Amino acid sequence: MNYNWDWSVFFKSTGIGSEIYLDWFIAGLGWTIALSLSAWVIALLLGTVLGVMRTLPGRFAARAATVYVELFRNVPLLVQLFIWYFIVPDWLPEKIELWFKQDLHPATSAFISVTVCLGLFTAARVCEQVRTGIQALPRGQSMAAYALGLRLPQVYRKVLLPQAFRIIIPPLTSEFLNVFKNSSVASLIGLMELLAQTKQTAEFTANLFEAFTLATVIYFVLNMGLMLVMRTVEKRVRVPGLIALGGK
Amino acid sequence: MIRFSNVDKWYDREHHVLKNINLKVNVGEVVVVCGPSGSGKSTLIRTINQLEPVERGEIWVDEVQVNNPRTNINRIREEVGFVFQHFNLYPHLSVLDNITLAPIKVKKLAPAVARERALELLNRVGLAHKRDAYPANLSGGQQQRVAIARGLAMQPKVMLFDEPTSALDPEMIGEVLQVMQDLAKSGMTMMVVTHEMGFAREVADRVIFLDHGEILEDTQPEWFFTRPQHERSRQFLRQVLAPMHG
Repeated sequence: MNYNWDWSVFFKSTGIGSEIYLDWFIAGLGWTIALSLSAWVIALLLGTVLGVMRTLPGRFAARAATVYVELFRNVPLLVQLFIWYFIVPDWLPEKIELWFKQDLHPATSAFISVTVCLGLFTAARVCEQVRTGIQALPRGQSMAAYALGLRLPQVYRKVLLPQAFRIIIPPLTSEFLNVFKNSSVASLIGLMELLAQTKQTAEFTANLFEAFTLATVIYFVLNMGLMLVMRTVEKRVRVPGLIALGGK
Repeated sequence: MIRFSNVDKWYDREHHVLKNINLKVNVGEVVVVCGPSGSGKSTLIRTINQLEPVERGEIWVDEVQVNNPRTNINRIREEVGFVFQHFNLYPHLSVLDNITLAPIKVKKLAPAVARERALELLNRVGLAHKRDAYPANLSGGQQQRVAIARGLAMQPKVMLFDEPTSALDPEMIGEVLQVMQDLAKSGMTMMVVTHEMGFAREVADRVIFLDHGEILEDTQPEWFFTRPQHERSRQFLRQVLAPMHG
């Protein structure tokens, strides 16, 4: 392959004001991070609630959570995104529908759709991790808590979840990274996050290889950084003997 | 204090684990429950705080029927301490936090008060110096002493022990039994499932022998050890008292 790499392309003007192409990547990275973090907050909260529901003694709650998980886990993410973006707004009350489609900035409505979509999709996966974490704990833990008179919400908040989360930090980390990687689907509904900016740069400059190389490096560094952060978190909250107890 | 009347329990509707249990434990009494494994003794004490439900009969703690659906079982559990065979300390909390969790959350005690009380109890079980340790860094005997302190922190009216020394290495059994003996001397009402016949002989006011879910003996320790009424209790005693388990 005979290709003349030209890395200076990122510092060339885009022709819009004093903007250079690197600015596009920075703006795209900003959207990617904002999107992923918002979706992760939804996923973590909802996923925890669902995961707890799956371990409750009552059958109704457990079943409802199971239905949720199967539904969101078995439909491709992209299909879910199109549903959230193209179909769901039509079902909303007319006022909200018009507000969503006309008053909101297109970037904002796309952002909302992807955040909700990615959040709910990932919640199903977080749910399964949380459930596994809770079920890995010895039954004696909840029995001891109940025997002391703790109520069910206290048993979960103070005894089961703090242990379950410590056990599932590694798989949870990979879900966290998946959110960042999956956020690239947003480019398909016009949100100018990292991948969309990359494609646009490639089209404007014809420097396809450079643009995608830079995008690859940014995704890689971002995810490696997050993984290192999560490792630190894992070390910080580690308590002696917990993992060993998990199997009992 | 505790009363069973005509209590029956089945597992999976066919395995009859408790058969027509009638018994009474009076205030300040120490009752040892023994019997071969699978006899239902652990199940028996777990029904008192309803960790195990029963299918028939009535169980009363202090004039409250615990297996009545209208009873708030949490109120009973606050007053009935329970010590498990495997200690079941919370591994993510320090020794002190293990003890103060329930008093703060359930009894709404001010953290400072709960802490002070926990330290007193830790002193009593000889582990004040371990207050900031995590359970995994304690020996089995130490963990069980913390578990006893955790139960006592709720200021229970009665303490239940479910084979408290069975998971311990032999050299640690003594320290736990010592704590239990001190507790008995202080006047605590206790029900203890154990194979420690020395403890039964020296500390218990009464010994209950359970076999196949039935109470076969309910008598004073001297009578139980010298003149057991049933062939099955004689056989059990021969086995647990024989030095070589021959």
